[in-house]
Amino acid sequence: MTVDTTDPVEKPVEQSRRRRFVIPERFFTFQSYVALILVFLAAIIFSPRRNGEIVFLNSENLLNIVRAVSEIGILAIGMTFVILIAGIDLSVGAILGLAATGTASLLMVNDFGVAMTVLIILAIGMAFGATQGYLSARLGIQAFIVTLAGLQVARGLARIWSGGQGIALAYGDGPDVAPQAFSLLNSRTFNGTVPIPALIFAGVGVIALIVVRKTVFARHVYAIGGNERAARLSGIPVTRIKVTVFAISGLLAALAGIIHAGQLNQGSPNDGMGYELDAIAAVVIGGTSLMGGVGTVSGTLAGALLLGILNNILALNNIDSNVQLLIKGVIIVAAAGIQAFRSQQK
Amino acid sequence: MTAPPLLAMRGIVKHFGGVHALRGVDLTVGAGEVHALLGENGAGKSTLMNILSGVVRPDGGGIELAGEPVALGSPAEAQAAGVAMIHQELDLVPQATVTENLFLGREPRTRLRTLDRAAMRRHARELLDDIGVELAPSRRLSSLRVGEQQMVAIAKALSLDARILVMDEPTSALSDSEVERLFAIIPGLRRRGVGVVFISHRMDEIAVVADRGTVLRDGRNAGSFVVAETPPAEIIRMMVGQPIEQLFPDREPPAERVRLRVRDLTVADGSDLGGRSEPRGVDLDVREGEVLGLAGLLGAGRTELLDALFGLAGHRLSGTVELDGEPVRLSDPRDAIAAGIGYVPEDRRASGLVMMESVAANIVLAALPALARAGWRRAAREREAVASSIRDLHIKTASAESAVGTLSGGNQQKVVFARHLLRQPRLLLLDDPTRGVDIGAKSEIYRLLAGLATSGLAVVVASSELPELLGICDRIAVLRGGRIVTVLDGRDATQEAILAAASIEQNSNPSRMEAG
Repeated sequence: MTVDTTDPVEKPVEQSRRRRFVIPERFFTFQSYVALILVFLAAIIFSPRRNGEIVFLNSENLLNIVRAVSEIGILAIGMTFVILIAGIDLSVGAILGLAATGTASLLMVNDFGVAMTVLIILAIGMAFGATQGYLSARLGIQAFIVTLAGLQVARGLARIWSGGQGIALAYGDGPDVAPQAFSLLNSRTFNGTVPIPALIFAGVGVIALIVVRKTVFARHVYAIGGNERAARLSGIPVTRIKVTVFAISGLLAALAGIIHAGQLNQGSPNDGMGYELDAIAAVVIGGTSLMGGVGTVSGTLAGALLLGILNNILALNNIDSNVQLLIKGVIIVAAAGIQAFRSQQK
Repeated sequence: MTAPPLLAMRGIVKHFGGVHALRGVDLTVGAGEVHALLGENGAGKSTLMNILSGVVRPDGGGIELAGEPVALGSPAEAQAAGVAMIHQELDLVPQATVTENLFLGREPRTRLRTLDRAAMRRHARELLDDIGVELAPSRRLSSLRVGEQQMVAIAKALSLDARILVMDEPTSALSDSEVERLFAIIPGLRRRGVGVVFISHRMDEIAVVADRGTVLRDGRNAGSFVVAETPPAEIIRMMVGQPIEQLFPDREPPAERVRLRVRDLTVADGSDLGGRSEPRGVDLDVREGEVLGLAGLLGAGRTELLDALFGLAGHRLSGTVELDGEPVRLSDPRDAIAAGIGYVPEDRRASGLVMMESVAANIVLAALPALARAGWRRAAREREAVASSIRDLHIKTASAESAVGTLSGGNQQKVVFARHLLRQPRLLLLDDPTRGVDIGAKSEIYRLLAGLATSGLAVVVASSELPELLGICDRIAVLRGGRIVTVLDGRDATQEAILAAASIEQNSNPSRMEAG
C-alpha cells in the first residue's frame, strides 16, 4: 500500500463549521408557551400607562382578553381534536352563525325558554358535526371538502331560518322578548369581575385538558392521527371516533354561537365569518401538526390567548386593525416554520 | 506497487450526540467486486453508507476513490464522484414512465428546446439493454414490480457514470424469480468495473453474489472474509460476537385440540386487486400450541389469508371460521380482536406502529379499553402492563416513554407483539415477523414464539424465508393463487418440496380446481 490516507484532522474542522444550528427538542414541546410569554412581556412593554399603571396588566383588561377570545378559543378546542385526526373543520364559523341566529330566533320568535333553546341549538350543532364526520369517515370524502360544503349549508340554513335578517335580542317578561336569564352571558360574576363567557371558555378548556389526559377516547384520537391503519389493526373503532370528533367540534361551535348571541344581544346569519381560520391559527400556533397525531389542547389554549393578547395590545395602542392582520400572519408562519424546522431536524 | 482500490474508506468515525455510531471503520471495495456489508441492525451499516453517499458527514477518517482523496459533503457531490445508492424506498417517480424516470432532470432537448422524445426512447432502450433488462421503456413505473423498478434505478445510476453502487437490502421485497433476474445483471456490472456494496441479512444470497465481505459490529470492523472460503456459521459468529448454538429452539409437540377451524374461506375480489390473490376455498385446522406456516411465492395470497382471518376482508368474506368450536364473525378487526385473535402485520412502520408515540402508548394501544374503567384510563394499570411487557419480551428501550422510532427493528417488532399479547389472544397471526430484523433479534423472536406455542397459543405465521418456516413450524401450508395446494409436515419438509408445490401448476389439488 503506497496510498496515503487523507489528513484526518482537516476534515472535522471543515465539517463542524458547516454543522447546522440545532434547537433542543424540549423547546418545541413548550414552543407555544414560550411564544405566549414573549407576547405577554412585549404587551407589558408596549402597553400604554395611565397614572403610572400599566393598562395591559389591569385585571379588568386581562379578563376582557379572555372574554374576547372565548368564542375563538372554544372553536379552537374542538378544532384541535379534528386536526389531531389529520382532519380540518371549515364549517365551525358558519355553525356559530347558524347557532347564534337560531338562538335569537328561538328566544324571540318561538318564545322558548333558555334551557330549551340551549339544548336544541347544541343538539343541532352536534348533529351537524356528526353528519360531516360520517360523510368524511364512512364515504372517504376529504374533511376539507365535506366541511367546505358544510360551511355553505350552515350559512344557507341560517339565512332561511331568519329570512336573511339579523335578529336583535330584547330582554324582559312576556311574548316576543327573550327571558332576562339569557342576558347573563353579557354579564360578569364574582362581584362583577369575571365575564361569564370567559368562565365558560375556561370550563371547556379544563374539561378538554382532562379528556386528553385521562380518557381512552383521546388516546384513540392520537393513534388514528398518527397511523390510521395501525389504529384499525389494533381494534380501534376508527369511524366512530372520527364521527365523535366532528360531533364535538360541531357541539362546541354551537356553544360558541350561543355565547356570541348573548354577547352581542343578537343573532345574524353572517356571524362568525372567518372564525374557522382564527381557530385553525390558534391550533397551529399551539404546535398541533396538520398531519395529525401530534399536538396538545394546552398548546391551543396558549395559541388562543396569544392571539387575544395580540389583538388587545394593538387595540390599546390604537393600531389599525389591518396591521393586526399582518402581524397575525407573521406569527402563524413563524409557528409553522418552527414546526417544519423541527421535522427537518429529526 | 498495486493499483489503489476503487473505494477505500479508512478510520471512519461518527458520533450522533453522545452515541458512537462508528468508531473507526475501514471498507475497501475493488473494481468489479461485489462486496457484502453485514452486521446486525445498529451495527453502523446505514451510517457508513450514508457517509459514502454524502447524506451524513463523518467526524473523522478519509475516503478515497481510485486512490484520490474525496470529500463527499452532499448527495450531489457523492453522485458526481460516482457513488450511487439504490435505496429500499426507490427515488423514482411512480407516475412517470421508465424513460421519463431515466432522464429525470436531464431530459434531452431538440434544437427548439422542446423535449426530444425520440432520443429519450432510444437512449432508454440502450441503457436497459446494457444491463440486460427486458422492459418496455414506455411503461409507467407504478405498473412494474418492485424488482423491475430496482433495475430501472440501477440503469439510471449507471447512466450517471456510477462507479460504486450501494444496494441496501435490494432483495427484501422481491420474489425468488425477481431475485434471480436481479442477480443476473451482476456479471454485467462486474465487466464494467463497477464496485457493488451489497447489504443483506440473507446468507444464501451473499454466498451466491458476493466476492468478499465486511462485517460490522457495534460501529467497529468485526472481520472481513472471502465468501468462497468462509462458511456461513463463521460469518454469523462475526456478526453476533458469539455463536448462536441453536437458532430455532426445541418445542413440545402441539396438543390434539383444534383451536382454529377454517372451512371454505373465500374472499370475493375487491376493486384494487393489483397482482394479489384473495383466498379461495381455504380449509385449515390449527391446533392448540401449534405453529402453522404459510409458504408461497410473492402474490400467492399469504398476506391476504391472514388479513381475512383478522377481519380485514370485511363483507367480501365467505365460509366459516371457528375458534375452539365456536363460530366467529370476522367483518372487522374489532371482531377478530374480540374473538381473541392477534395480528402482527408485515410492515410494522405502515401498519403496526404509531411512530411518533412512545413505546408505552404503542404497547397498550389495543388494550386501552380493557385496562380502563368506563373509558377513563387507569395510569397505574397501564404502567404495570407496559413494564411487564417490556420485561417479558426483553424489549430494549431507554425508557417506556421513549419514542418507538428510536428502537431497533427487532425491538419495534417486539412492541407490536406485546400489544397483541396484552389482549391474551388464543390465536396469533404473524406476517413475515422477522423481516428486516437482525439475526440476534430473529433468534429472540423464535424463542418467544416457541414459548407462546408451548403455553397453548395457536400461531399462524407467513414467511418468505423458507429456512425460517422449516425451523419453527409444525406444519407448513403452501399457497398458490389464493388456494392451499398442499400441507407439509414441518419435520420432514424441504425447501425443494415447498418451492415445487408453490410454483408448479400440476401439483395443485384437482378437487379444488372447479371452484375458481
